[in-house]
Amino acid sequence: MSEASSRETVESAEGLFAETPNGPRLCGSRCATCQTPYFPRSSGCHNPDCDASKMEDLYLGPKGRVWSLSVQTYPPPPPVVTVDPFEPFAAAMVDLEEGLRVLGRIVADDPGQLNVGDEVELVIAPLGHDPEGREVVSWQFKPV
Amino acid sequence: MREVAILGQGLHPWGKFEAQSVTELCRHAVEAALGDAGVKWRQIEAVAAASSRFSGGKGWGLNGNDIVEDMGSTGIPVYNMSAGCAAGANAFNVGHMLVASGQHDIVLVMGGEKMPKGFIQTSGLEDPTDPEYLRQRCVGLPGPGFWAMLCRQRMAQHGTTEEDLAAIAVKAHKLGAMNEYARFRKEFTMDDVLNSSMVNYPLRLYEICPVSDGAAAVVLCSKEIAEKAASKPVWVASSAVATADFNDGLPRHLACTIGPENAHHSEAKIAVRKAMQAAGVEHGDIDLIELQDNTVYYELAFPEEWGFIEPGTAEQWVAKGDTMPTGKLPINPSGGFQSFGEATTAQALWQIVEVASQLRGEAGGRQVPNAKIGLAQSLGLGGNATATVLRV
Ligand SMILES: [Zn+2]
Repeated sequence: MSEASSRETVESAEGLFAETPNGPRLCGSRCATCQTPYFPRSSGCHNPDCDASKMEDLYLGPKGRVWSLSVQTYPPPPPVVTVDPFEPFAAAMVDLEEGLRVLGRIVADDPGQLNVGDEVELVIAPLGHDPEGREVVSWQFKPV
Repeated sequence: MREVAILGQGLHPWGKFEAQSVTELCRHAVEAALGDAGVKWRQIEAVAAASSRFSGGKGWGLNGNDIVEDMGSTGIPVYNMSAGCAAGANAFNVGHMLVASGQHDIVLVMGGEKMPKGFIQTSGLEDPTDPEYLRQRCVGLPGPGFWAMLCRQRMAQHGTTEEDLAAIAVKAHKLGAMNEYARFRKEFTMDDVLNSSMVNYPLRLYEICPVSDGAAAVVLCSKEIAEKAASKPVWVASSAVATADFNDGLPRHLACTIGPENAHHSEAKIAVRKAMQAAGVEHGDIDLIELQDNTVYYELAFPEEWGFIEPGTAEQWVAKGDTMPTGKLPINPSGGFQSFGEATTAQALWQIVEVASQLRGEAGGRQVPNAKIGLAQSLGLGGNATATVLRV
């Protein structure tokens, strides 16, 4: 990997997260009729009991609680982004205050340090490098 | 609606068969089913097939057409059903309807699969609008990691231990060792399981199922034909197909609404409820269950979610042997996915064949004594599930 490419940074996906004046947030939406939140943004409401889909953009986060998690101890196949050489990482399902259960990777010194029920908050942090050598950043959760 | 019977059934053993095509595996199962039913290929009036993404089917999932060409084209209608790992029982559901409605009197249902190596990648697309791509690219959560999360939630909620999980694998392989169609026919001790490598804590290698090749086939017929048959028929009491509920609290992609506690695998719960209602059976009527155990966790969660076992007590049922063939609620007397591995679209039909074998009293050392009513359940990608109740 060249010096130049190692300094290049890309987002894991466009438009899913943002650094706002209040800190990192997920870019979601909510139906104004039935209040159902969505992530990523949805162009229509999926609630079968909602009579009028009316979507509004909504920033989600930063506070959440770990519903469950697992530690990835072996290198998963692409397109999963990892560090080279591979280091184990934790991924979690996190319950946000807005009523959404969201997947995200955990940023922690020890991937085994978190437990079900622990409080976490959103961060935007590197996942590793893609096959082109660019650093990939994504939304993640860190222990509070 | 007319009553429908399973007139014959056949399996190709599960395993890895590098040299054979999926159509060859299917043909083996189809010929076995035709022989068991005592009917000739010419008598098959329609085919309902599970549609594979991984093998055969002309790259378009047209596996039913492949087998019809292979057996000999007779101009009959073919229905190729796509529903992930639930596809075999989706095809069974269509086959059942074709006979129950009076459209046809003898119908073949089949499913076969040759799986690529490694764990199943649910999507091969590198498309930022594909939710599965986003899930892997932005987070990274292969299948076993997802199962591990479910399992850890249960551990936190009910105190499930690593030994509880290992005990289920021991039970599964004890039964699988006796099943001539199983891929893994070796018993494991608790130590064997607990010493197998950790895949995603708390799930070890011997507590999750690998991918396999295999094929299954069933001949369905009307009551009139079944009653003239030489052998005692197995009746299809009900066949149900369902998809997930909006309030399901498991993120299938990147997120979902939290929903009520334990409102998970709603598609499976809905399918089982619908099948039991349609069959007119209560929990206590069911003599055995073949359920989809991609990992041992499901053998704890599913019977509780469907109302067979009080939530949080399934571990004790396993420990006391209550889920063994001679127990109060025999679960997966076949040895389950743990002993077979998963040949995706063949899997749900194989489960139906296993239940039918039990009801015919042909399960040997795995036989559930006096089995009269059995339930088979599957769960497939995309929020698909099926449940089938058979009786004699
Ligand atoms: Zn709405």
